[in-house]
Amino acid sequence: MRLRAEYSVGSDLRFLSTLDMMKLMARTLRRARIPFALSEGFNPHIRLSLGTVLPVGLWGKREYFDLELEQEMSCSEFVEKMNLTLPPDVKIIACIQIAATIPALMNSINCACYSFVVRKPVEEMEQWKDIVLQRDDLVVKSRGKKKDLDKNLRPGILKIEVNRWHKFAIIDIWGSIGEPLNVRYDELMELLVITGINKEDILDVFRSGNYIRVKDDFFTPLEKVK
Amino acid sequence: MKDRLFRDILPQVSKPARYTGGEVNMTKKDWEQAQAKMVFAFPDVYEVGMSHIGGKILYGLVNEKSNHLMERSFAPWPDMEEVMRRENIPLYSLESFRPLNDFDVVGFSLQYELSITNVLNMLDLSGIPLWSSERQKGCPLVIAGGPVVFNPEPFAEFFDAFLIGDGEEVTLEFLDCVYKNREMARDELLQQLARIEGVYIPALYRVEYKNDGTIKSMAPVAKEAPAKVRRRVVQDLDQAYYPDKPIVPYMEIVHDRAVLEVMRGCQRSCRFCHAGMVYRPVRERSVDTLKKQAAAQLASTGYEEISLASLSTLDYSGVSPLVKDLVKEYGPQGTGVSLPSLRVDAFSIDLANEVQKVRKTTLTLAPEAGTQRLRDVINKNVSEEQLFSAVEAAFKSGWNSLKLYFMIGLPGETEADLDGTIELIRKVKAIGDRYSRRPVEIRASLASFIPKAHTPFQWRAQNSIEELDKKRRYMMREKQRRIKLSFHDSETSYLEGVMARGDRRLAAAIFKAWQKGCKFDGWSEYFHFDRWIEALQECDIAPDFYNLRQRNYEEVFPWDFIETGIDREYLIEENERAEKGISTPDCRQEGCRDCGVCIALGVDLQIKEGYSVAVES
Repeated sequence: MRLRAEYSVGSDLRFLSTLDMMKLMARTLRRARIPFALSEGFNPHIRLSLGTVLPVGLWGKREYFDLELEQEMSCSEFVEKMNLTLPPDVKIIACIQIAATIPALMNSINCACYSFVVRKPVEEMEQWKDIVLQRDDLVVKSRGKKKDLDKNLRPGILKIEVNRWHKFAIIDIWGSIGEPLNVRYDELMELLVITGINKEDILDVFRSGNYIRVKDDFFTPLEKVK
Repeated sequence: MKDRLFRDILPQVSKPARYTGGEVNMTKKDWEQAQAKMVFAFPDVYEVGMSHIGGKILYGLVNEKSNHLMERSFAPWPDMEEVMRRENIPLYSLESFRPLNDFDVVGFSLQYELSITNVLNMLDLSGIPLWSSERQKGCPLVIAGGPVVFNPEPFAEFFDAFLIGDGEEVTLEFLDCVYKNREMARDELLQQLARIEGVYIPALYRVEYKNDGTIKSMAPVAKEAPAKVRRRVVQDLDQAYYPDKPIVPYMEIVHDRAVLEVMRGCQRSCRFCHAGMVYRPVRERSVDTLKKQAAAQLASTGYEEISLASLSTLDYSGVSPLVKDLVKEYGPQGTGVSLPSLRVDAFSIDLANEVQKVRKTTLTLAPEAGTQRLRDVINKNVSEEQLFSAVEAAFKSGWNSLKLYFMIGLPGETEADLDGTIELIRKVKAIGDRYSRRPVEIRASLASFIPKAHTPFQWRAQNSIEELDKKRRYMMREKQRRIKLSFHDSETSYLEGVMARGDRRLAAAIFKAWQKGCKFDGWSEYFHFDRWIEALQECDIAPDFYNLRQRNYEEVFPWDFIETGIDREYLIEENERAEKGISTPDCRQEGCRDCGVCIALGVDLQIKEGYSVAVES
């Protein structure tokens, strides 16, 4: 039996690496006595795979993992048992059963949304958005493999939305993940700075979602399982 | 404080998860409700400190079994320290994010002599005066425990108190006394604390020296302070507290697993071994207790591995049934069992095979010396046949690499012994090549022998840096494929030797070294030997006096006032037997050797699963 779960990572756990999160989940599965399946071999491990890496320093609103179970268990029971056992800052939001043939999260998530809480009026940010989206190229220094080379983020910026949050604005930027262009949150941060937003005015950054994008539609990994 | 850390500070540093706390099973007690407030301070980074069993025991003990409170703090890595100093952030505890000087007691765990500069650095970051004499009322009591405090003297002037021996025996008594007398003046409180067995208050003793620099006398100056401080000892480990819910760190730590302490103490009497002497006698836990503790710990932590810890786990009388039961019970869920060190014999390999059914582990054997003659000198009772049969069994069972532990610079060591070590490693490899399908690899680690206080070798001289380096070059002169030799740094070993048998006069140099920027001295990238030498010179201290000097039996040692329970006569006799190359058998097997510890401390050698099993295994 294979499950796909959506979970949130709170602000207190934003400094965990993917490996740390993997261990956190694995140990929670053991404590919660979930009937997980094990791999074969000398070092058997739980058949658990996390979606794309949540960068160290960011909290996440909707992250994903796939898990194989050795015995049947209802999704509601799984969610309940896990949430009773997880540390307070991690919550399973939803869980569905998926077919064994569904591609792994790593191979299907191709877009992520990063959210920036900015100490600026929404109206000003709306203008900022229009200006940015009109540009043909948005060049920053690459933080990934080709460190410090110029990198044009524009083709990888798929959508921008500006919303109100109390007196501030939240800028949601949908960026492409993986090949051919991987947009990183720290590169987006630089983009904000070079397009006129002071670093001190960026109050918080988090990842608000991961998506499987098909043409202009964005599906969550729970939606795109057929 | 926490908000600022999470928003502005931690994003700037490496491995921020070291500094966030909030782990699974962390205890955060109500500050106002708690009686005495103590912070367990570990003078190394989080991932080292969190791996230490003693800290887990004390944390659980204080928080579960008393109305006092214990929180944790670790040495910040230099990048974090830099940000903390720049931003005026004091060293804080991971539970309540309070600065260390809010606590009543700051208790350091001293596992390693050279961690002392980190102690000073942590005090400085907390705004606590470094010298005990400069601390006023309202300032925390700075105390220490752990193996290093069996010779606390080099560090005496930095601490208000030392707790000698098993911490679960003395810590609560200490905190009760601190709380009860909280209104007392500081020096009066220290006098009260001195009355507790196992508590050493350095300010209450005066040391006088002879012209040759050795000690003339050391005596208490207050009536409450005993002439000898006797170490505390747990009588029965089955009755002793052990945590069922240890903290589960989020980040990877050095020993990232559940731990069972199967026994305390070791009676093999290796003459170089400090722990073997100061933690006597052997006190075992029963298999029943250990199985219950395993079940509780795995249920509360979700760990995927459980380690059987002690000084010599293969000597535990119940090791075989325990391992088999644990593998049977938890193996199907992929939870493995690990044995930290193996004894050199085929029985050990059988057991390692049992363990390996779930998870493959590294095999490590410790012959310590390369020739039978030298093994007899140090009383490492392992024969070449035992070693070869162990090695053969290991390679036949499918291992294709092996780690061997040796020492160099041992008393009476000659070139023939060094040749013997190389020869032994080659023979081990040859056995491997015969039985293994793939080419085998042997990694040998060669530590420098450092004479330690309270051991039969406490009178011996340590090899100089030049001698150690010469031996290293000699052994490295011929390289061989798939044999890797690694040596401990001779300068680090030299300094460890100075501290191990040092006295109060070293404090000035330690302070100076810290001022010159020494910290994390156990980490080679931060170790600055030149700064230490400068500091020692500026304080007119000739370090060779402490480590390179052969001592006579009449000399008074700085650590003589600490009563481990072992008779001085026994240590002298063992030293004499070493000189003659005569080994001394294990007291479990051949009867009591009159070391004196059981009588002095009113304890018994406790073998829980039967002598016959112990002897046979």
